[in-house]
Amino acid sequence: MHFSELLVELVLMPLLAFVIGLAMVLMMRRIGARIQRRVGPPLLQPLYDIIKLYGKETQISHGLMHEIGIIMAVGGYVAAETLLPVPGMSGLADKGGAVTLAYVLMIPSLGLALGVGQCANPNGSIGISRALTAMLAYDIPFILVIFGASYLYGTTNLAEMIAIQQQQGVSSWGIVQMPLLALAALLTLPAIMGKQPFEIYVAPAEIATGPMVEMGGKYMGGLFVMQCFQLYTAGVVFTTLFLGGGMYWITFLPKIFLVVAIPMSIAYLFPRYRTEDVLRVMWKWPMLLGLIGLAMVMQ
Amino acid sequence: MTVLDFLLLIAAITVGVALLVGNRAGGGWLVTILYALQGTVLLLMSGLGYSTLAVVHSSVTFDILNQTLVWRFDALSWFFALITIGAGLFSSWFASGEWGERYRDSGGSLALFHFALALNVFSMLVLLASGDLLTLFIGWELVSWASFLIMALAGGKAFGYAMRYISYAFAGAMALLGGLLLIYAQLGSFDYLAVKESVPQLQTSTLWLLVVLFTAGFGVKMAILPFHLWQAKAYAETPGPGAAFLGAISSRMGLFAFIVVLVQLIGISRLAGLEVPFTFLDARDLLAWIAVFTTIIPTYIALRQHDARRLLAWHGVGQTGYMLLGIVIANDLGSAGGLMHIFNYATYQAMLFMAVVAVMHRTGTSDLNKLGGLFTRMPLSYIAMLVGIIGLAGLPPMNGFVSKLLVYRSLIVDGSPLLFLGAVIGTFGTILSVYKLIHNIFLGQLRVEHAAVREAPLSMVLPMMILAAVVFVTGYFPGLVLDWTSAVQRAIGMPVLAHHLGGMMSDQGGLDMIWINSILLAGFGIGTLVFLLGGRSRRVHQLDNYAGGHFLTAETRYHYSDNFYPGLMHLVGGWYRSSFEWLERGFVSTVDTLSTAMQGLYRNAHPSYLLLAAVVFALSWVIV
Amino acid sequence: MKLLALMVALPLLTAFLLSVINSISTFAARWAGPVVLLVTAAIGLSAWPHLGDTPQAVQWGGFQAPLGITLYADQLALLFALAITIGALLLWPGRGEDRTEEHPDDHSRNRLRRASLALLLAGTGSGLALSGDLFNIYVFYELLTVVSYGLIAGRGTSGSFAATLRYLVISGFGAALALAGIALVYQAAGTLNLAQLAQLAPERLNNSQGFAAFVLMLIGFGVKAELFPVNFWVPEVYATASSRVSALLAGVVSKLALLIIMRLLILVFHQPEALTVLLVLGVLGVASGELAAWRARDVNRLLAFSSIGQLGVMFIALSIPGNAGVLAALAVAVHHLFLKPSMFLLAERWGGSIKGLAGAAKTSPLGAALFVLLALSLIGVPPLPGFWAKLLVIMPLLALDQPLYYFAAFIVLAAAALEANYLFRVVLTLYDKAPAATPHKAHATVDLATAVFLGAGLVAAVFMLAPLAERFDFIAAQATDVSTYIQTVAPLSLESGSVQ
Repeated sequence: MHFSELLVELVLMPLLAFVIGLAMVLMMRRIGARIQRRVGPPLLQPLYDIIKLYGKETQISHGLMHEIGIIMAVGGYVAAETLLPVPGMSGLADKGGAVTLAYVLMIPSLGLALGVGQCANPNGSIGISRALTAMLAYDIPFILVIFGASYLYGTTNLAEMIAIQQQQGVSSWGIVQMPLLALAALLTLPAIMGKQPFEIYVAPAEIATGPMVEMGGKYMGGLFVMQCFQLYTAGVVFTTLFLGGGMYWITFLPKIFLVVAIPMSIAYLFPRYRTEDVLRVMWKWPMLLGLIGLAMVMQ
Repeated sequence: MTVLDFLLLIAAITVGVALLVGNRAGGGWLVTILYALQGTVLLLMSGLGYSTLAVVHSSVTFDILNQTLVWRFDALSWFFALITIGAGLFSSWFASGEWGERYRDSGGSLALFHFALALNVFSMLVLLASGDLLTLFIGWELVSWASFLIMALAGGKAFGYAMRYISYAFAGAMALLGGLLLIYAQLGSFDYLAVKESVPQLQTSTLWLLVVLFTAGFGVKMAILPFHLWQAKAYAETPGPGAAFLGAISSRMGLFAFIVVLVQLIGISRLAGLEVPFTFLDARDLLAWIAVFTTIIPTYIALRQHDARRLLAWHGVGQTGYMLLGIVIANDLGSAGGLMHIFNYATYQAMLFMAVVAVMHRTGTSDLNKLGGLFTRMPLSYIAMLVGIIGLAGLPPMNGFVSKLLVYRSLIVDGSPLLFLGAVIGTFGTILSVYKLIHNIFLGQLRVEHAAVREAPLSMVLPMMILAAVVFVTGYFPGLVLDWTSAVQRAIGMPVLAHHLGGMMSDQGGLDMIWINSILLAGFGIGTLVFLLGGRSRRVHQLDNYAGGHFLTAETRYHYSDNFYPGLMHLVGGWYRSSFEWLERGFVSTVDTLSTAMQGLYRNAHPSYLLLAAVVFALSWVIV
Repeated sequence: MKLLALMVALPLLTAFLLSVINSISTFAARWAGPVVLLVTAAIGLSAWPHLGDTPQAVQWGGFQAPLGITLYADQLALLFALAITIGALLLWPGRGEDRTEEHPDDHSRNRLRRASLALLLAGTGSGLALSGDLFNIYVFYELLTVVSYGLIAGRGTSGSFAATLRYLVISGFGAALALAGIALVYQAAGTLNLAQLAQLAPERLNNSQGFAAFVLMLIGFGVKAELFPVNFWVPEVYATASSRVSALLAGVVSKLALLIIMRLLILVFHQPEALTVLLVLGVLGVASGELAAWRARDVNRLLAFSSIGQLGVMFIALSIPGNAGVLAALAVAVHHLFLKPSMFLLAERWGGSIKGLAGAAKTSPLGAALFVLLALSLIGVPPLPGFWAKLLVIMPLLALDQPLYYFAAFIVLAAAALEANYLFRVVLTLYDKAPAATPHKAHATVDLATAVFLGAGLVAAVFMLAPLAERFDFIAAQATDVSTYIQTVAPLSLESGSVQ
């Protein structure tokens, strides 16, 4: 591939991800609203939100690390998006692969954690403690899923996984080949996205005890951007592993929106789990499904 | 005189010089220069690290028991020696400035410290140079006792921990001695080549015995389960830079010997043929599982520590598991990952210990509940620790990520999901634990009494910064280290990993860290741009905080530090049962009981009565 | 080489004449003992090279074997005769002790008594090492026992009397057993001359009677060699006797008893059961001694128990058939010969509970450093001599490839691990920070000098490993050469060996 082409891809991929992510945020809010019999926000509301946050006059910084933390949170996702192949663009998919991606995705969380830590607010630290515990809860079954997919396809290269599924048709899709793993991944998705019923670490309803406690203005804006990427990444990863990725955007986009929509619709129906219950649930069901699924894959 | 002779000679001279001038002003620097000289001589042999040179012999030989004892360096020794001398150099450097003065002024013998450090380096080089099983044992014992010396330097509590270490270590050494004498008894030689050729003659039962003896012997040094109890406390109590040195390389000697004997001489494939009765496992699986549990259990013990040095030392135990796991898996990815992890781990572990010692130097404590907010006071130490914890947690862009990734990938190729699961559980535990480490020291609320704390002196900061650069650069260009590990793989007869400067090539998905890291940096750049797009922010003073709507003054302590993960502990807290401590105590009290019984025998037994019994017994034997 | 007989005769004679000399000149009496020992040591040393080619036999009283008193000297015997002579000289009883409270009259009388005891010890010990027939061995052994009573009780404390009494009882039983064994041998073979027995043994003693005789003698002579079931005197005696006496008994005298058992094994008793008995008792000795030492609360007892363990290792070594066993036992014995006396000398000022020793290294840094060195060698850390000795024991044990020998090897290794634990507990206590109250006594210069001299011997051995190994190999080979023994003692008259 030509270098300049690659460069264009590297710029385009995060941009697209951001735009799609915004749309996903909108969709998420609309779903929530419909379930609660509200109208929901207008089309450009997420964008307005971001612009509003960045444009605020009162922007309190608690020190350099606070700022670097936000930069890491956004930057890490920007980088991660280039590792995720989408129709027509595979970016750096061949330089890293699924396991690398999983670890690059922890950089934003680490950045956020460091930034919040610098704020010297115990409530923020408590939020991080919960967030990291939740990460321990959902990432272990999730990484099992990645293991299963890598083993099944014989590669960790996401672009090749897509190619294999595309060539051999629907019967070769991950969801057909390893349904239990797909189910396990689906169960972990809300937690990965920080949504109900596993959103205690974000604690959106009680701002005083969560990572966001000292975040305002563009700091909050950074987290908003991060959330867009988060939703997009979750959708694309699942689609890549289980739904054959996409040759064309026209087939690809519905898949990723669907992937995000399903857990989102179910999520609003559940009450919230406590931190230790997140662990208990994640280590029980997705893990069990994942292990059985793996056993079936490796037969 | 060969280059190796020269190296060992300089190392020996370093030991002497350290003892003579260690207490003088500038003595530490002289010793540090000598380490640098050792490093230079080692670089003269760098052909070993790039497979252009197979072996460098020492001209010193020694005839005993119809055996000729020889010493030589090959790629494996060179690789380990590089880390050893590097760790020695940086630790000595770190100790040479203000830290050393403080140590001396507070009553410690700085000369003895430098002597112990140099002795450790020297004895490790002797061990690494061993050319047969007997010299291996001699080097092994030297290393054990040198570590004992440096561990015991601090006195007081450290004595108890050093004692525990040497009890384990010497018992392990005896297992090792038993093992290699058994080899001699069965095969008639101590020579590596001769042994390697005749190992196939060994019966399965003998081989099992050997595997158990050697695993126990080397395992004690590596602190793999169930011999892990001694290490963390002993390392933590070692004087500052000594802990950095021990943490970086000391217990790797166990791994070195493990590779020499169990991988090179006996061979992993032979281990895979040894079935554990009544199970589906073989000896290789057993080792792999030991490695995985060595990763998990100590890591989660580390999570509960509230002393920074203990926390790091426990992670040291845990990280051993990855190295062993990779090597036992023994495919090209695994062995490269395991070997590379030795180097990577040494770089960041030394740096992490140094950062903690720097904090101790300025604040006088390493208690994680008595620190906080030091980022603004000691930013360079913070950077060192940040780089270090990213490495330790195995996240990009640092070098620890590459080696761990290789190990994970080897497990995928090997098709071992459960081992993989265990390794991942260990990694996440590490992430949680190291965040707590950096949070409790550098983030959060600054204590009022630490408001005037300054950055550590240059003599301490500079080694940390160089190590941080090493961690970053070898993370960016892992090929630098993979060159050496490939030479080692070739030397020990493992499949060689196809690699390039940025990572590795593989049909199952390659890795190019140059791209990954560049894109990550570019991402941070974009993140910065996005950040700057926003409105101007106003920075508030570090002590100007509120919590939950309450304005609190700096005197109120609200740093969230103790029991950092209550949710997790709520669930897994009950699983901390100290079973191994219990096991150890059980063993000790068994010995104690036996000992009491024997003393009773000697004190009370009616001599004449026993004598009579002996006679009757003897006579009855004759008559019957 | 008749001069060799002087090694036995001269010290004995001087010992008996000492009080006469004292009445003439106190100065002469004071120096007579050391000078005589020096002379005898010189005699022994000058004979050493000659014995390399051909062992020597001396007939006392002008009769040929088997009637006369036969002395047989090969390098093995001479080595131990020299050891007891030089040992008695170096560890001259009563030196380095604090005698300020002693009455001046008692002082000179005690000195005289100790001097004659030391001379007697050297004389009888040499006699024991050089004797060539069982009867003489028995006589010298008994003499030696009596001398040791005197030495142990010499301190005059109630504890030492109690210990002596215990020792007396066990020794008495031992002597009776040994005598019974000798009687059995005589009954079967009709002679007590070892050379003759060596000839007759295959037909007359290779049966259960011979075996019974061996067991009886083993237990009898084993009393001094700290053999397992008859070593209950050891801890009390070493704990209460003066360090120099303990050093002599543990370091040197026990080796003499070992030498006798070694001779009997080589020349007379070839039953495989004999080896098994040795092995089992050795293993029990190692296990019981080291385990008991683990809980010892004072240094002297600790050393006493550890010496039981070490002697156990020697018995295990002896149980290895052939040359290798003798070589291994010899190596361990010589190592122990240097090491244990040195340790006991250091323990002289380290009495009382081990806990009370905290900070003793500050007072006597050299002594503490030496103790570390000795401890390292004792547990067998390369490249110190103890390691090579251990290697010589374990290699043949494993080479035999039998379960019982494997087990013995395991016990030896496990015991070393235990030893490392308790010895280094002491070491760390020595280097611990001292509680301010208790000042420690520094070592007497003469004690320390002697200990350092012995320790230096160990270090020197590291640099002469190869020649030493060769020499030991040679000594072992010479000692196991039965036909040379027979030829040397009685070149002519052996076929007429039917005396009864």
